[in-house]
Amino acid sequence: MRIPITLLSLLVLTVVAFAAPKEYGKKLTLKETTKISDILANPEQFAGKRVLVEGAIIDVCSHRGCWIKLASDKEFESIRFKVEDGVIVFPMEAKGKNALAEGIVSVKTYSKEDLIKQGEEHAKEEGKEFDPSTVTGPKTVVQINGEGAVIK
Amino acid sequence: MNQFKWRKWNNILHRDIGYTIVALVLIYGISGLAVNHVADWNPNYRIEKHMLKIEPIASQQKDEMIREARTKLQLSEEPKNSFRPDPETLQLFYDKRTYSIDLPTGNVLIEETKPRRVLYEMNQLHVNAPKKLWTLIADLFALGLITMALTGLFMLKGPTGIAGRGKWFVAAGVLVPVAYWMYFMYF
Repeated sequence: MRIPITLLSLLVLTVVAFAAPKEYGKKLTLKETTKISDILANPEQFAGKRVLVEGAIIDVCSHRGCWIKLASDKEFESIRFKVEDGVIVFPMEAKGKNALAEGIVSVKTYSKEDLIKQGEEHAKEEGKEFDPSTVTGPKTVVQINGEGAVIK
Repeated sequence: MNQFKWRKWNNILHRDIGYTIVALVLIYGISGLAVNHVADWNPNYRIEKHMLKIEPIASQQKDEMIREARTKLQLSEEPKNSFRPDPETLQLFYDKRTYSIDLPTGNVLIEETKPRRVLYEMNQLHVNAPKKLWTLIADLFALGLITMALTGLFMLKGPTGIAGRGKWFVAAGVLVPVAYWMYFMYF
């Protein structure tokens, strides 16, 4: 009976380990979350500020795991949580899970040329098609420069 | 008193460190090749995409949409999460599988993510994704490589050693990164 009990314990431990929230990067320091919709509604008010946000992970950088996209609390909205390459590596398995993520809000305006270049590079990496005519003009991009996250 | 035979110990060190780190050299070497070309292919995952056609989704409320989509897609399991990136799209997230449903047409894009077994694990170790103890192991490996390089210089004596033809090989090996960096910076 000793072997089955050992195996059962290992199985339980494995299940618990996989089910437990996983930490990435630095430990979270903030306790209160900010709504993603509030950041997107007033980006200038949050620019350069540290925030803790919560949302479903709707996309993950498939090549380097260097960003995740978090769903907003409002429909049709999302925000990119970008981390330094190699500092944090998010697995694709995180897609669909919920995340608590902390970082600094970045607000940048990109020219049309920059956006086309970025779009082409992104499409090449993701193996998707990119139509430059979809870029109509300069755009302000709001993202969170991530430092730490907990994925549940 | 016996003279300390430094070359003998140099060679023993080179040999035994070599045996110890051969697995890590292969892991870092193979994943290095894979990760170097990350712009051209995905070294970690195979993402399979296929299209499916269902009847358009008529429901207007998100919960009803999900229910209707699950029925039409014959998905008995609840999704882990859902999202609407725009008014005409509903995404359902399952384990390693995402359904993107175009509500008015019923066109469904199914994306399945499958890790490239062995290569995925090698790449994760190479980029130090596990952190914690692996950082120490990777540091020890780096020290092992440095020791291998230095002890390798002094393994042989005579015309094939560092004082003979060896010095020209070492010089060529130094020149490659230095010359490339100069070219990269100034041309």
